[in-house]
Formats: sequence, C-alpha cells, structure tokens
Amino acid sequence: MYPEDVLRAINEVRGNAIVVPTMTAVPAWRTIAPDATSVDCVGFMGGASSLGLGLALAQPGRRVIVLDGDGSLLMQLGSLATVAGAAPPNFTHMLFSNGVYQTSGSQEIPGSGAVNFAGMAEAAGYTFATRIENLEELHIRLPELLSSQGPILAELAVEEAQLTPMTAPGGDPLHVQVSNLRAALTKK
Amino acid sequence: MPENERIPAGPIVEAIKTAFRSQRTKPPTSKEPLGWVLSVPDTHQRSVITELEGDSELRLLTCSTEDEANAIAAGLHIGGQEVALIIQHAGLYASVNTLRGVGLDGRVPLFMLVGLLSREPDLAPRNSPRSMVRFAEPLMETFQVPYALLETREDLALIPEYYALSREQSGPTVVFVGRETT
Repeated sequence: MYPEDVLRAINEVRGNAIVVPTMTAVPAWRTIAPDATSVDCVGFMGGASSLGLGLALAQPGRRVIVLDGDGSLLMQLGSLATVAGAAPPNFTHMLFSNGVYQTSGSQEIPGSGAVNFAGMAEAAGYTFATRIENLEELHIRLPELLSSQGPILAELAVEEAQLTPMTAPGGDPLHVQVSNLRAALTKK
Repeated sequence: MPENERIPAGPIVEAIKTAFRSQRTKPPTSKEPLGWVLSVPDTHQRSVITELEGDSELRLLTCSTEDEANAIAAGLHIGGQEVALIIQHAGLYASVNTLRGVGLDGRVPLFMLVGLLSREPDLAPRNSPRSMVRFAEPLMETFQVPYALLETREDLALIPEYYALSREQSGPTVVFVGRETT
C-alpha cells in the first residue's frame, strides 16, 4: 500500500475524529485533509501515541486517530502499555509500517521485517490489534477500526511516502496548531 | 530525616486541587475529574502518589516515561482538562527534548512537581555534590523555564502560583520538591 492512499481512505470515513499524524504522514495529511481537526507530532519523535492518548482521555465523546510510524513507535514503545492501561475506548492507533527511517535516508529500523507490532499491542493489552496488507482489505475494515471499542491498533504494511517533513516542510507551527485545536475542542 | 523536615502529602494534593479549581471556568460534571495527575513514580514524592491513588476528585495516570507524560499532558490540555506532572529529576533530564518540543515550541502549559531525590537539606540544590541535584536548576535556566523550590508547608502556595504561571505564559513551569514528602 502507498501511505497516501491509506490517508485518503482514512479521510473518507474519519467523521469528526481528532487526528494526530507524525513524521512522513504529516505532509500528505496536510494536503489530503486540510480541514481536519489535527495536531502534528513533529520535533518529539515517538510522542504521537501519547499525545493522542491525552486527547482521547480529554474528549471521550470523539474518536482519536493516531497516524504513527514503526520507527517512531519504537522510540517510545512503552506507550503501548500506557495506552492499554488507560484503556481509552475511542482510541485508534494506525501504524504505518515501512520498516525504515525514511526521513534520515531509509535506514532499516531495528528488527525490520521481523517485529510484530500488532502482536506487541495485543500483548500489551490493546482491545484489538491486526495487520493489514493491502488497500482493499483496509477499505473493508476501516469502519470497524474507527468505531469499535479501543484501544485498537492496525499495523499497515506500506511503501515509503512520496514526501517527508524534510522534503516538504510547511504547515502551521506547532503552537498555532495547539491553539487552534484547543479552541475548536473547548468552544462553548 | 526528621519528620519536621518532610512535607506532608495531603496538603500537597490539596494545593494541586486549588491550582486546578483556580483555572476551571465551571465545576466538573459528575462524570469527569477535577483534573489529572500524570506520574512516573518518584521515590521522593511516593507519599503524594499514594495519597492520589485514593483521591476521588483527581485522576492519577501512571506513565512509562516522562516523555510520555509530557505528551499526554499536552493532549489533555488541548482537550480542555487540567493536568499536572509528578516526576523525578532523573526523569526531567531524560525528557528534555519533549519538554522543549511540547512545552516551548508547542507553547503548552506543563506544570511539574519534580522531586530532588538525595538532595541534602542543608545545601542549596545547586551546591549539592550530587550531579542529579546540582544541575536541575541550571537546566531550567538554560531552557528559560520558571521554577521554584518547595521546602516547607509554608511554600505550598507555590503550587497554585506556578500552575497559574504556566497557563499565563503558555509554557512549562517547575516546582522542585526539595524535601521528601510524608
């Protein structure tokens, strides 16, 4: 699967979900879903799932979708246990698994191709975890992944992205995104 | 350490509640907490953590790392919740990039109670022979993070004061807990 196709598929069914993209998902998501209620995790690699967890706990009435990377998740792997322990039912963790650190030159991540992230999530205590290999299967399963009781993790077997935050910088600075999203979520 | 050199946990928890109440525009509904405390266990403040475990108004969430705690706090704040962190100086050192990225670049108000484990009560922290203690205040000065030192019950007002300051300045503030709590 190409990550851009995955993001388009998610955008089609996301509803009013809050979205937390990180690393290579950021430039494409900015273009595909410019109107989404989103906040990027850039500059503190590995923090997307934790940022999403805080949002999910604060906004239990809305789905939170984290667009994570395999290399990013490895940087804060303990977050799987923290998410599972907090058990937010509105939390969907979409893990873009390309096996490399694309932004820094596509070096293989530790254990590339061998690490079973869905298995790790399930063992940590996620309600449900799975691996999806192709776009057709993703389209079929997305509605369930975004509506069933979480926390849910879907490991997505993807190719490298067309753009990275290095080749396609831009978007609002983080503090502007934070301010805008907080205003949107807390307005009376 | 003599008991009179320790800080009782109950008043610290009450000070956290005072800080949260001062920022809320309306009381919590019956289903939501007054606010959240994110903890990566700190030996120095263990009695506070124990007190929080039994508290009905605050929700305690134990995190795997201080990096996580910073990012979770950001999400809770963005979503409209009150939140404070309880960590140790070692965890502060371990999480400085997230503190920078979330607190400074993201301008997220992060309020932290940071335990100075092994601090000598008769020495100013920056004069400690222990590097864990000695570098804590200079690190905050490097990051231009406002901080204060909690040493006695009389200092407890620092908690709501620095909590409010983090919200006013939209950035991190730290209260170092200079004595073991009891």
